[in-house]
Amino acid sequence: MDKMILLKDDLSKFITELLKKNKVFAPIQSDDTILFDQITRPSEMNLDFCKSEIPPKNLLFHQTETLFKFTPGTKAKIESVDVDEKKVIFGIRPCDAKSIAILDHAFKGDYEDPYFLSRRDNTALVGLSCNKPEINCFCTSFDDSPASSKYVDILLTDIGDKYYVEMNNEKGKQLTEGMSNLFKHAKESDAKKKKEVEKKAVDMISRHQKTNGIVEKLDKIFENPFWKEVAFKCVGCGTCTYLCPTCHCFDIQDESTLTKGARVRVWDTCMNPEYTLQASGYNPRPARTNRVKNRIYHKYNYYPKNFDVIACVGCGRCIDLCPVNIDIIDVVTRAGEVKA
Amino acid sequence: MVDEKELRDVVKKTISRDDVKYVVGYEKGTYGFQATPCFAYKPEDAEKFIFSPLCVHNLTVFPMLEEKPPLRKGEEPDTRKIGVVVKGCDSRAIVQILQEKGLERDKVVIIGIPCSGVIDPKKIEAKFPGHIKKVEVNDEDDKFAVTVDGKTQKIPKDELMPEKCKTCEYPNPVLYDILIGKEIKSKKKEDYKKVNAFEKKSMKEKWDYWEKQFEKCIRCYACRNACPLCYCKECMVDQLNPQWVRRSVNLSENTAWNLLRAFHLAGRCIGCEQCERACPMGIPLMKLNKKIEKEIKEMFEYEAGISAEEKPLLAMFKPDDPEEFIL
Amino acid sequence: MKEKFEPNIIGFLCNWCSYAGADLAGTSRIQYPPNLKAIRVMCSGRVNPIFVINALQQGADGVLIGGCHPGDCHYERGNYLARRRMAVLKKLLEHTGIDPNRVRMTWVSAAEGNKFAEVVKEVTEDIRKLGPMQHFKRENKW
Repeated sequence: MDKMILLKDDLSKFITELLKKNKVFAPIQSDDTILFDQITRPSEMNLDFCKSEIPPKNLLFHQTETLFKFTPGTKAKIESVDVDEKKVIFGIRPCDAKSIAILDHAFKGDYEDPYFLSRRDNTALVGLSCNKPEINCFCTSFDDSPASSKYVDILLTDIGDKYYVEMNNEKGKQLTEGMSNLFKHAKESDAKKKKEVEKKAVDMISRHQKTNGIVEKLDKIFENPFWKEVAFKCVGCGTCTYLCPTCHCFDIQDESTLTKGARVRVWDTCMNPEYTLQASGYNPRPARTNRVKNRIYHKYNYYPKNFDVIACVGCGRCIDLCPVNIDIIDVVTRAGEVKA
Repeated sequence: MVDEKELRDVVKKTISRDDVKYVVGYEKGTYGFQATPCFAYKPEDAEKFIFSPLCVHNLTVFPMLEEKPPLRKGEEPDTRKIGVVVKGCDSRAIVQILQEKGLERDKVVIIGIPCSGVIDPKKIEAKFPGHIKKVEVNDEDDKFAVTVDGKTQKIPKDELMPEKCKTCEYPNPVLYDILIGKEIKSKKKEDYKKVNAFEKKSMKEKWDYWEKQFEKCIRCYACRNACPLCYCKECMVDQLNPQWVRRSVNLSENTAWNLLRAFHLAGRCIGCEQCERACPMGIPLMKLNKKIEKEIKEMFEYEAGISAEEKPLLAMFKPDDPEEFIL
Repeated sequence: MKEKFEPNIIGFLCNWCSYAGADLAGTSRIQYPPNLKAIRVMCSGRVNPIFVINALQQGADGVLIGGCHPGDCHYERGNYLARRRMAVLKKLLEHTGIDPNRVRMTWVSAAEGNKFAEVVKEVTEDIRKLGPMQHFKRENKW
């Protein structure tokens, strides 16, 4: 792993270099919201943020995705679609980057998803350490840090007038090929400074979730009335799942005109009763309790059992945006305390 | 200021009745400035009930969310009443639902609370960022007394109130079984200042504005689910045959959804602002709702959620309704 | 040479009056613009605003709703209800910056073939002036 230094004044040069060979996606401010979108100039991005409104998972797992196109009729033709060219996601937070590593499990599983995976291969993640976690951030509850370089290709950490750069893998090195004039080798003092910045950010995180033994615990309390208490106030709006960086459910529908059509994949949410409604009219998850429970179990029980990782990164979006204050930190912590 | 002891006593009494299933009210949330809906099934549960300016939720959505799972053999349906704690605006939602016969009057016990304005959680969180410990907020005439870390600050109400409270004409519940505290007098008047200002813009400016807003929409339908009046068994956007609005997220479908949502609330929206509060993308949905509210007031002299006996706006007519637009 | 814009107008015509009026215009050989594509509905009260929005999405530049004269509705009150609905819809469209003149409503009885032709002429010209509907047309780009 190479440790380098990038002067802040050189950041726009770095982005300009990246733009030559890649599509670059970075946080952009519009009105009150921060969203990841394509930039054409370094000045368009805004790095003074905690987290984007929509997690950058939407750059790899599009909300609306054409799977293939077709022409209806007796001489039906099916046409595949191109999946994009080289892409760089700049400024992704370590928590969101981890979520993409978590999504890999789902999309690589028994059935490979070519759309996500080819995009993933073509995408380099240039992370930016989080230096001002917000009220509901709790990434440290999963042994991670707001300045973790584990899941990105390159990680930048703001250490005053320069960025401390960690080249994590070959992909990161390839990305910066030919830019050696921008980067200098880091000194011991820079590494120390990064540690300080990281510690400061970690200390700012004041909420913690108790996840010790939660996987086994959830196995024991599936029928517990606790879930009814938690779920009864849910209005089923689905914001928590749409904006969760690790949620990845989708619905597939055909859209067509008289002459052409396409099979389209769109995000879906398990908070909707329609999500599990079967054609017969039977719904295996008929009540809010079943659905809210499913969200927690999927993240804290099924996923760890299948892939050995909790499917929550502690970004806090679902807590920030829940209109009725269903707080996953509180729910999981309390679930751990419920008497089985 | 509402006496919380009185509230708890009333809730206790209500839930002790044999014909009441549960009572929905508010309790303190899990962090900072949050309040959250809570349910009392037994008299003891009433102890956690609160009422403060942080109680922004419209709880009348809950009776409409009642699920009726299929009964087992020999099982009787639970026909007991649901108790709901309502503010002035929330009570109008109940009235509107009763008017549409979405709910029967004898299926709810309405516990009314006169309210002189709540706090917009987004505004107060912007004022005290990152505050996690629970706080005390009280209502003091024209100010909110916010106690954070033992220090009390008095903040003028206008700085923290959501738009709906600034022009609220119904601080007292219009319909209730039990009223807590005394009715309050209010001189506030809805003058549609913002709607009027927006109307002055040119067609192009208007569309440019809404195009940007609708493009943001991620079609999570949180606005619909948070709305006490969106209670159709099957929403038209979930319908598959015919499928009026496609599931794809793009400007065309987003616009169709947002226009139809607003239209379906014409003469029904009571302005509780839950849709806007629930919207994760910050789309100003109330701007559409308020416009319709203003127009129907002018055209049909009708206001939603005032009388349960009146017929729904779009299910009745007057022979002399405005028709200058007809060829 | 720039091709002249020909508006695409969808007409929801009520079975008992407007559609019969359109028929009469036809059988009486009264000329009117071919831009209107008529869809017969049983009553103007059947026209759900969703139809209108959907027509605009699918490429209509304008929508015309035709019903019986007030008091003449075959179902007694369908046209009155439609009138209220469209009044609200037009205000909503106006507020979002879509010209409310793209959605028109008319009363045409079965005996008014002439009036029908006049109305179609007027609506076609109005919408021709407004130009193509581009606000939220379905692009079908997959």
